[in-house]
Amino acid sequence: MSIFEGLRFRPGKSFIHRIDPRVKLSISIFILSLAAIYVDIIVLTLLISVEAFTVARAGVLRLWLRTLRGSIYLALLVFIITLVTRLLPGGPLAESLGYAVTYTYRLVVFLTSFSLFFLTTTPEEIALTLSRLRIPYEYIFAFVSAIRFTPVLADEMRSIMDAQRSRGLELDRGRLLSRVRKLIPVLIPLLVNVLRRSYELAEAMEVKCFGASKKRTYLRDLNIKPSDYAILAAAITLFATAIYLRVMGYAPLQILTGLELFNGM
Amino acid sequence: MQAIVFDGVSYVYPSGVRALKDVSFTVERGELVVLMGENGSGKTTILKHLNGLLKPTSGKVFVDGLDTSKYTVAQLATHAGLVFQNAENMFFESTVWDEVAFALKNFGYSDDVVRKRVDWALRFFDLERYAGQSPFTLSGGEKKRLAFAVVLAWSPPIIALDEPTIGQDSLQKEKMLHMIRLLNTQGHTVIMASHDVEFVADLRPRIIAISSGSIVADGPADEILPDTEILRRCSLHPPQLALLMARLRDLGMPRKLVDVDTAARLLVERLRP
Repeated sequence: MSIFEGLRFRPGKSFIHRIDPRVKLSISIFILSLAAIYVDIIVLTLLISVEAFTVARAGVLRLWLRTLRGSIYLALLVFIITLVTRLLPGGPLAESLGYAVTYTYRLVVFLTSFSLFFLTTTPEEIALTLSRLRIPYEYIFAFVSAIRFTPVLADEMRSIMDAQRSRGLELDRGRLLSRVRKLIPVLIPLLVNVLRRSYELAEAMEVKCFGASKKRTYLRDLNIKPSDYAILAAAITLFATAIYLRVMGYAPLQILTGLELFNGM
Repeated sequence: MQAIVFDGVSYVYPSGVRALKDVSFTVERGELVVLMGENGSGKTTILKHLNGLLKPTSGKVFVDGLDTSKYTVAQLATHAGLVFQNAENMFFESTVWDEVAFALKNFGYSDDVVRKRVDWALRFFDLERYAGQSPFTLSGGEKKRLAFAVVLAWSPPIIALDEPTIGQDSLQKEKMLHMIRLLNTQGHTVIMASHDVEFVADLRPRIIAISSGSIVADGPADEILPDTEILRRCSLHPPQLALLMARLRDLGMPRKLVDVDTAARLLVERLRP
């Protein structure tokens, strides 16, 4: 469940927190796109170092690392699946391992790319960013609520697990199938509580006249600063260069000799 | 033999919050203890140590003589039954009967014993007529009673209750009071977290007052509840009777008094010409 920690906003006053959310969103999208087009361990390492550096500057490195830790199981699954599907048709072990490692690595970069945005941007700023992108407020509200309630749900799931364990439920014992069946006492109360909460939320929204006027105004507005433009310009330049290199067919690993192993990716 | 021993227990949550700081106390078998303290003082953290949901970061917890760090939650739960604060949000079975049977089946009781115990628990909590209904159709008070029945069905020697009176009306609280007393006289050790001073005053238990993870006082209700200094440290207000007695000191009323019957008798004695 710690994978959701990456969605939980932590208030802060760091330089990263003050960057315009649209710029941060762009950077997250750049990182995600680069991870999608480069299957190259060096590029991925570069990307993850950029992420690590930024979250460290924002003072949320520990939370970000927890997201990483939470993604271990998913990463492990991808690793095994890739390795098996490469080995079975008779692929050489070294090459298959190379693919498995890189694909897993790429997944981790995928999963963490948006933490940079979510960890340092208030839900209000996220809503503002989306509204600037002309997305209807109903959808924005649904999206922001989903983000806001995910960590709440994770907490709730933990306390339901505690209650059912107190009633003698042993979640971590037995065969896989019986373990899955043991999730029923956890998932049903969770679902019931989610439904109850959504009704409560709907009522609270109506009380506060949700949707009363077509044009919404906001308490705060987004103001892009010169420093934001500078950061955006730098990010775009790097992104464009990376795309150009990729289109020209350069990938660091192919250039480096002695690592023929990863060729052809 | 002692039911519960906390020996220099400290607990730090993974988030880094130090919830308990060197907490030590002992609860004898058959005692009735209430943990009082402000929100976040560590009451629930203490209760979660009783069935091993939490293991001490340092120090030792013994429940029924068992070192909790060496046993699983399922093993300890048969010794200490924990009723959660919002336990009524944890139901999942299709009938009230099955809901009560769930834990008994987990603990491996035979069908015959399961049937007997479920019937007993439903009778004890006055829920027999709902046996075939969905738990979700019950009223708030009935759900609360079901939450108790669910844990008491296996009759754990130690019963831990987390804020049982929250959101309950006075009739329900009175039922709860009788039930807790009854269980206690039947020999169960009852440990409960609460900041409902009036409810606790009626129960007149031993009180352990906690503030930010440390014990600030430990003694009988008659001593602790009228003590404004201790209560203030726990963000609590004395029960009304204690406040009244404090005001009537000129009449020679004892300051440490939380029992309505005694207070009424003494007042009548002094006021009758």
